[in-house]
This record gives sequence, structure tokens and C-alpha cells, in this order.
Amino acid sequence: MCCEQVERQLGRYVDDEISAAEREKIETHLGFCSSCQAELEEMRELVRGIAQPPAVTVPDFLWASIARRLDKTDRTISPARPLRRLRFRGAPWAIAAGVVLAVGLSMFGLSSLESTAHASTVDFGVLLDALPLDAQKAFRKFLMRYDAKPSTPVAAKRIASALNFDTPPVLPGGFRLQSVYELRIGGTRGIAAAYDRDGEFLAAVFHPPMKHEKFGSHENLPCVIGDHCGHKVQVGEWKLVHLTDPTTCHCLLSRVDEQSEMPAVMAAIAPKLTETGPTSDHHHP
Amino acid sequence: MEDRLLIERCLTGEREAQRQLFEQTSVRIYRLLLRMTGNPDDAADLTQETYFKGLQRLDQFDGRSAIGSWFYRIAVNEALQFRRRQGVGTVKLQAVAPNQPTEAQRPRTDLELDMESALAELPPDDRALLLLRYQEELDYRGIAEALDCAEGTVASRLSRARDKLREILRKSYG
Repeated sequence: MCCEQVERQLGRYVDDEISAAEREKIETHLGFCSSCQAELEEMRELVRGIAQPPAVTVPDFLWASIARRLDKTDRTISPARPLRRLRFRGAPWAIAAGVVLAVGLSMFGLSSLESTAHASTVDFGVLLDALPLDAQKAFRKFLMRYDAKPSTPVAAKRIASALNFDTPPVLPGGFRLQSVYELRIGGTRGIAAAYDRDGEFLAAVFHPPMKHEKFGSHENLPCVIGDHCGHKVQVGEWKLVHLTDPTTCHCLLSRVDEQSEMPAVMAAIAPKLTETGPTSDHHHP
Repeated sequence: MEDRLLIERCLTGEREAQRQLFEQTSVRIYRLLLRMTGNPDDAADLTQETYFKGLQRLDQFDGRSAIGSWFYRIAVNEALQFRRRQGVGTVKLQAVAPNQPTEAQRPRTDLELDMESALAELPPDDRALLLLRYQEELDYRGIAEALDCAEGTVASRLSRARDKLREILRKSYG
């Protein structure tokens, strides 16, 4: 390596953004070139000068000011945060949310989303429409739609004691529990849980059986999971499957295989489902 | 994993989770903005703006970069816009105000003050670049994420910024 080559690489060398082989070549050159050594020392001196971070204390009032502004925004926008949804231009559900917001605000002023979400309906349209883009974001939109609050497996059982469900720390197949949420669906409570298996997302939603559920433009078709009859909406690789017993609709959003993996996962999140026997009608158990 | 859970909670609008995220990241952001602006009041205003916007837009965070890079990017944008609003000019140095104690309350050396003056003379984007690399210790990938530029351009941009800074320092020493 000549001086010119070393000088060109010296910045990367100082920044430790260089391969071991290049590093070795540069260090060999530096071993006998006093000119490049001086160049290196000058660069290090400069870097040390920039690197002196002042020891700072973040002003105490800052978080309070930020929280106040966020509170103000939250009061101006319903808990579903429709303005955030509308940023996803062109998404059909965003337009729908805008309509809901317009109707909701004109009818109820600054009322909460509960005014616009009927207790007899769960709207999965938000979740299904955004699935192909990003499943986790779609799930978060659904959580916001139903005013989700973080919870724990134990608290979820207590809050939704009328529902038959479980959120085990690990599901068959190795999905690990990431988070549990309490949902407000109209006047009733629901529970949602997010799981992960090496970056593969899976979510479960539990809610009381409803007369109607909305799936946007997606078709909800009968299906069989293990010994149970249920319904399924498919969006690309993603499936939203629901199995319903007299107390609970168990909704599973995943990409797992219906025949080989899904029955065991369903059995884990709906442990009493087997006792109730198969149900053929999802909405009218 | 911890980050991801905290972000999930923030996304549901949980204020306590948002406060935790602020606590975890705000020293670095405030410190960067303090050196970008040279003024504690401006740094506080811009930090507030950074978190207000960042938390409101958190649903746009794709999770592919570190959450720190996300806030760095917003902070740098805020600082650059602030400079543009103020008009082009150098930073008025006031980086060590009475409420900003340095290590062991020591006064800054001449050398440090020279460096601050020289940094203040740099174009704001060069200043951001150097501070992200050498003060905040981001690697090239992190810098690319924070500045929303190609990783392949970071090394050459850093090289140019270092050369400019060296030139300014040489002039100041006569």
C-alpha cells in the first residue's frame, strides 16, 4: 500500500469501518511511514476534540411539556387516532376511518370511539386491509381502533373473566408471547395477544360472540381446524381464523399451516374449546 | 426485545411507556441538539419538538433501524430547519450555560472552545454528521439511517467534513 492509498482509507480506519485485511495492510504501512503516522495522529486529535460530549442534564420541565402537548392532541383526536391512520394514503380503510371520524365528530363532538363502535360488531377491516403492507402495523391499527391498553396474562384473565381463552408464554411451534392487551369493543371487553417466532408474527384476539363481524371487502368462508368448524379470511399468506364457543370468539391471525400447525396453536389459546364440541356457526354458537 | 415491547406500548398511546422512551433516549438527543445549536433554550425547544413529532408519528417507525436513529433523524431535521428559519449563519456559542454543568464543573479549555467555534462555523449538516459519528458514536449504518442517506456516501461526506473542520481550525491558529 502506498501513502496515497493509506490516506484515502485513513478515515475509515479511524472510524473502524474497514475489513481486517485492509486494517492489516494499513498498519503494516504505518509501521514504517512517519508521514502517514503523523496524518493519523492529527486525525485522531481532531476526532478526540469533536468527541468531547458535554455532560448535560435534560431540563426537568421537558417531558411535562411534551406530555401536555400529546394530551391536548389526544383530546382533539379520538382514541383511535384517525389522523395517524390517514397518513397511509390510498389505504381503503383510511378513507373509511375518515368517514367514521367525520360522522362521529359531527354527531358526538369530541366523544370517544366507543360512540362509533357498536357493541354488537367487531370490525376486522382495518386489520385485513393493511395486512399485505405490514402485518404488525395492521395489528397495531386494530389495537388502536379498539382503544387497547397493555395488560398481562394474569390481569387479562381477571379483566375478561367471562371469556374462555389463554395466552401461554410459549405456543406449540415455538411462538413466544410478546404482549397482551385489553380491548374495549363497544361496551364489552376483549383481549389481544401478540406472539413472535424468530421474526414471524402471530396474533390472537378474543371477544364475546357477536351477531356481526366486519371484514371489509374480504370474504369470510367456512373452514375446519382440527375437530372444529370455523371461519377464515385469507389475505395473501395471512389467515384470520375464528373458532367460536358459547362464550368466546377466538381469532387467530397467522401464516401457520391450517392442517399441521394451527390445531395445536388453537388448542393452546382456546383450552376449553374441545369441551364444547364443534360449532358450525361462528356468529351464532 | 425490550425496545420492541416498549415501542408496542408507546404505539397504543400509553403515556408512561412514552415517558420511559423519552427517559432512555433524551440525554443523547438533547446533547446533540445542544451542540448543534450552541444554545440550551433552543436545544430544549427542539428536543420538545423532536419527541412530540416522533411519538405522534411512531406508527411510521418500521423497526428496521434502531429507535435511537429514528429520533436522531427527527432531531437533525428539526435542527436544520431551525437554522434555515434563523437564516444562514454560524451558531452563537453558548454551549456551556450555567444550568449545563460539564464534567466536575470544570471550565472548558481553550482547545475545547476553539473546537466549538470551529464546529459552529461548519455547515449544519456537516456538523450533524461529525457529532453523530464522534460524539454519539454511531457507525456508518446508523448515521445513514439518522441522516436518511446512502451508507456508501457516509465515509466521503465525513472525510469532507473533517477536512473543512481542520481548515477552520488551522485558520483560527493563524
